[in-house]
Amino acid sequence: MIRGGRSYVTSAPSFSNDAKKLLVCTGNTVSVFSAATGLQITSLEGHTAQVTTLIVVPASSAAQKILCYCWTASLDGTIRHWDFSGPELLQTINAQVPIYSMVIPSLLSEPQQTDKRYDSSKLVAYVSVEDTSLVREGSTELRGHIRRFNLAKERLPRGDTLKETEEPKSIVISPSGEFFGIRHKCKIHVWDVPSGGSVSKKMTLHHTKVINAFAFHPTERIIAAGDVTGRVLIWRGFGNRKLALGSQKKNARAMVDLDNPGVRDEDDAESCTTWHWHSAEVNVLNFSSDGAYLYSGGREGVLVVWQLDTGKKKFLPRIGSPLLYFIWSPEPTLSSVVCADNQIHLLKMPSMEILRTISGIKPPPSLPKMYEGLSSTVAFDRSSGIAALCTENYCVQLYNLLNDRGISEVQVCERNHQPGDEITVVVTAVALSLDGSVMSTTEVKLPEDGIGGLVSLKFWESEPDSKTFTLSTIVYEPHKDAGISAIAFHPTRSMAVSTSFGGDFKIWVSNSDKSQTDKDSSWICHAVGSYKKKPMTAAAFSGDGTVLAVAAENVITLWNPDKNILLSVLGATLTPITKLCFAGKSEFLVAASHFPKPELSVWNTSKLSSSWSYGLRIEAITSALDSSTFAVLALVPKIFRKSKSKKNVFRGRDGAILLFNGSDPKPVSIWTVMKAEGGSISFLEGDKSQLRLAYVNGSHEYVVFDPNSDETHERSAADYEGLVGEEETGDFGYTSMYGELPDYDKKRKEDAESLVTPFVSSERPWETIFSGSTLNFPPLQKLCGEFFESLMEKSNSVVE
Amino acid sequence: MEEELRVRLNDHQVSKIFPVKPKSTAKSVSKSETTDSRYWSSFKPNSNIPKLVSSVAALAFSPVHPHSLAVAHSTTVSLFSSHTLSVSRRFSFKDVVSSVCFRSDGALLAASDLSGVVQVFDVKERMALRSLRSHKAPARFVKYPFQDKLHLVSGGDDGVVKYWDVAGATVISDLLGHKDYVRCGDCSPVNDSMFVTGSYDHTVKVWDARVDTSKCIAEINHGGPVEDVVYLPSGGMIATAGLNSVKVWDLIGGGRMVCSMESHNKTVTSLCVGRMGLDEAAENRLVSVSLDGYMKVFDYGRAKMTYSMRFPAPLMSVALSPDSSLRVIGGSNGMLFAGKKKKLPDAEKKATSFWSVNSQVEESRRRALRPTYFRYFQRGQSEKPSKEDYLVKEMKGVKLARHDKLLKKFRHKEALVSVLEEKKPANVVAVMEELVARRKMMKCVSNMEEGELGLLLSFLQRYCTVQRYSVLLMALTKKVLEMRAEDINGKEEFKGVLRNLKREVNQEIMIQQSLVEIQGVIAPLMRIAGRI
Repeated sequence: MIRGGRSYVTSAPSFSNDAKKLLVCTGNTVSVFSAATGLQITSLEGHTAQVTTLIVVPASSAAQKILCYCWTASLDGTIRHWDFSGPELLQTINAQVPIYSMVIPSLLSEPQQTDKRYDSSKLVAYVSVEDTSLVREGSTELRGHIRRFNLAKERLPRGDTLKETEEPKSIVISPSGEFFGIRHKCKIHVWDVPSGGSVSKKMTLHHTKVINAFAFHPTERIIAAGDVTGRVLIWRGFGNRKLALGSQKKNARAMVDLDNPGVRDEDDAESCTTWHWHSAEVNVLNFSSDGAYLYSGGREGVLVVWQLDTGKKKFLPRIGSPLLYFIWSPEPTLSSVVCADNQIHLLKMPSMEILRTISGIKPPPSLPKMYEGLSSTVAFDRSSGIAALCTENYCVQLYNLLNDRGISEVQVCERNHQPGDEITVVVTAVALSLDGSVMSTTEVKLPEDGIGGLVSLKFWESEPDSKTFTLSTIVYEPHKDAGISAIAFHPTRSMAVSTSFGGDFKIWVSNSDKSQTDKDSSWICHAVGSYKKKPMTAAAFSGDGTVLAVAAENVITLWNPDKNILLSVLGATLTPITKLCFAGKSEFLVAASHFPKPELSVWNTSKLSSSWSYGLRIEAITSALDSSTFAVLALVPKIFRKSKSKKNVFRGRDGAILLFNGSDPKPVSIWTVMKAEGGSISFLEGDKSQLRLAYVNGSHEYVVFDPNSDETHERSAADYEGLVGEEETGDFGYTSMYGELPDYDKKRKEDAESLVTPFVSSERPWETIFSGSTLNFPPLQKLCGEFFESLMEKSNSVVE
Repeated sequence: MEEELRVRLNDHQVSKIFPVKPKSTAKSVSKSETTDSRYWSSFKPNSNIPKLVSSVAALAFSPVHPHSLAVAHSTTVSLFSSHTLSVSRRFSFKDVVSSVCFRSDGALLAASDLSGVVQVFDVKERMALRSLRSHKAPARFVKYPFQDKLHLVSGGDDGVVKYWDVAGATVISDLLGHKDYVRCGDCSPVNDSMFVTGSYDHTVKVWDARVDTSKCIAEINHGGPVEDVVYLPSGGMIATAGLNSVKVWDLIGGGRMVCSMESHNKTVTSLCVGRMGLDEAAENRLVSVSLDGYMKVFDYGRAKMTYSMRFPAPLMSVALSPDSSLRVIGGSNGMLFAGKKKKLPDAEKKATSFWSVNSQVEESRRRALRPTYFRYFQRGQSEKPSKEDYLVKEMKGVKLARHDKLLKKFRHKEALVSVLEEKKPANVVAVMEELVARRKMMKCVSNMEEGELGLLLSFLQRYCTVQRYSVLLMALTKKVLEMRAEDINGKEEFKGVLRNLKREVNQEIMIQQSLVEIQGVIAPLMRIAGRI
């Protein structure tokens, strides 16, 4: 089993001391990437919940640059100390409460006595925790606590609380280690780090807007804060009165009477200036290591460099995604900017060139309402395990599911994406041919005031070796002004079909067969068909490619794709069909519809009749090439999921993958999954003739597993280790998200048969089934038929 | 700094600059330029030939250098110099000349006329050496055998093919067999006694003068009155022209048809074989001209037409000079369409290289540049890299047009106006689409000043009914007229534009209506056809 698609951007990454490695929090693990190649080197595994903070122990001298120690804090309530060159876990401290943020000032402020630090009792950490003892529904208690921990002690005391807030806040520390602070609504609370055992002093800076980010100047007493409206405020000389050190006290007193321009109320700062360039909220603020520049970024995806003294600006525009973090490395020429689309860009510094990108799987695009559920934004290349995913910036990302790495990106429309702008161009569908050599995309330009709408269909072809696609053909308005509902590729030949809501479908063929030169290959329309002017909503080729099934709203029409002859019409379903799929090479055709009444039906194309149907809402269908196995991704109805007796079965999962075999209405296996809405599944048939099932969920996290294996999950993870290669290391990051039901093997199935029988005979099985001890439950697999039947009345098969 | 930064970022995938691009249009599948089209279009038309009196019946090139050209028109044969294309000699006849032919050494010229007489002239002396009188009806063709200097072949409307002894002015044999007018003939390029004749009885007969049976040795049926027949250079194949078709036959293979090409719309009048260039590898092509005014070039090896050219008159005859430098086509209105290839300046090149040593020395003396010269500071700027130099490529920036730059600065209306001034409709539509994508089109329209509005309206008037743009432009036209009604109403300068716009739209509606009518007529027919 392979899990992947983890987010790289949940918390700030960190450079190692020699700037050759980049440590990234990826779910429950910390992944170490090489800054030179952008590939994963190793990962630190051990936390059982999301890692929230990552602190690399800084080196104070050149000799120490090879030291690779780091501290991590996680929501599982532990703080761990690692040697990430190993990787080796050195120390675990259990704080017992989820830690949202942690700073260790002494690492920064006392570089001269680093060696003694660990055994001294001075290693003090300030952590932001959630007091789980107070978590109750609707409680108004202040759950977020800022506490002081001494990491040097073996057993942790509860720690003294500095501040309580409604929510756990992230702590920001000054690069010198003198101050740390949190932002709280329109205020910034700043504490100084006491040198002795004294209690730290606190001061507050006020603003009129909610503050989104702030940063400390590395050497001077300057705080920069960014608010939701895009303003950047610079407080100079903060805390001269309240946080004054002994030697500075005299000066501070002298300044009390001075007029402090721009400073609100009685705040302790000399001056406050405001810079305004960002149009939306500021998410990123960071001073350069020498303090001469301030980096800021926000939702518009532009990194702005302010010269601190003059306020002059420099830009890195068109990043295309909201910025989340900006960090600089010990190497002055390298820094990194982290974007919301799961990309970490490494920048070459003075020129701000993007050197390299560590590319995670990109999140799904936000589509306008009218395209929700209609678009198919994920396509799979079955042989190589590559998924083509539509992304926000009008690209198709090619992502290798087997080794969890982005391969390339294909710019579908030549536009720059500006986050936050109104969506006017949408890539609605992507489809890959079976051999993965041809890709087809559709895009829609939404009209302004009814003018200028445009639908276009594009065919892309790839060279056999290269992993990227080049544009072969553009078809403007393939179905006049009607939108395209589906694209399907012929399994063996270069032929494709596109169906439209305008009531016709078109068969496209590539003329590359005829012409010798590859360069001239283009796709041309081979045939047009329609059935009673009904909107065509889905299409599929049969396994051998001789039959084309096109759904005309609620009937299925079967065509000969070569001669464009209507072969037959399958009886009507109740609701418009949205998805069609032939079950492998068998004569069974699977159709799904979901509005207004969801239905999954299986049709026998040789008898032209319906075999069986369920009232399930189906998100995706896939079928194996050779066998008649097919799998569907079904959304479990909400009412059913919420009912108390089944809560422990679903544990917050909203979907199920059901594996069927041919005409048998009883599923062979069932897995429940999370975030099934907008998800997609596909069989992958690799070179080892091994059947695997890939599931990509609504937020583009994925899992690849063998649907037939009875092995436990750890075993199969180990199996794939070799296949995946060095970079891939078993990803347990999502155990919390994709749990699996206990596996049911076929032997147990037979045994269970006798158990189930009494329940099946009962008229209302569900009333009895869950009463009694959970140990007596028959396997779900056996129950499924009855279970789903009880949810809906079985629709009568239509015989013509 | 900002600009520099942007330029540098261009080649990275994250932040590209995309200039506004017009929609791509369909490309023709075939290549626009083939070796054939390049060769045949390289004949530069020569326009200073005076118009001849009447139809040009026949053309012939002298087989020896300088390949002078004999043109038969009306009752004269004019001898043109192939170099200057001017008339050097004239031979007069009593009747209309039908055919003309040079002897293999280019010294004699034979011509037939409609009175049935075949005359032989000395080209240099301009005098008639022999008059061969035997045809009882107009003689239609006369031909010297390939290398034979003593005999002639002629044919006429009496259906008889005659094999002449020129010196004695006697007929050696009357070859009978054609049942209709004999119109054409050709002599084999490999055998002096073999020749073919074509007749209006649809047949082409192959004769051998050595066989004295006066019967043809082979016969092929073209399937229509044969207008012209030529031997292909191999000698084993012939090409015939009749009606709209040109057919190639294999004589050795027993008169089998190799291919048939029917690309002319009217009767093909003349054929000739030409070589594409002078090198060894040059291929032969069959050139045909027709009454439809087209010259077509066939690649008979691949059985396809490779080049076609239109002339403004029905064409009667065609000839290509043996050195492939001249292509002459005679029209029925007396026009002579001559195309001449440019000579490679071989001779001149040699001359310059002879003097070049001297000039180089002079050059180097001249180039002693000093810092006081302006050119001193420009030296070496046009230097070309030598082979072993390591080239550091300059990064190519994206080329931005003026409207792209304005769009980049969000100056939307100015971008639209600037592209409207450019008068490239595809670009204008592309900018409009970009504005729609930015949701700024309506704003632009409402902000336009009067002059700019006029510009937009005249653009819309011209292009709103063009099919490729009409979806966007018709909707836009409607919107513009709605939004700016009070500005447009009653303004003198807009009146004309609006009137034209109305007319355009009305015309388009009429066209659409008639198309719908036609569709209504066709649809039942198609349905019936589909049922069968």
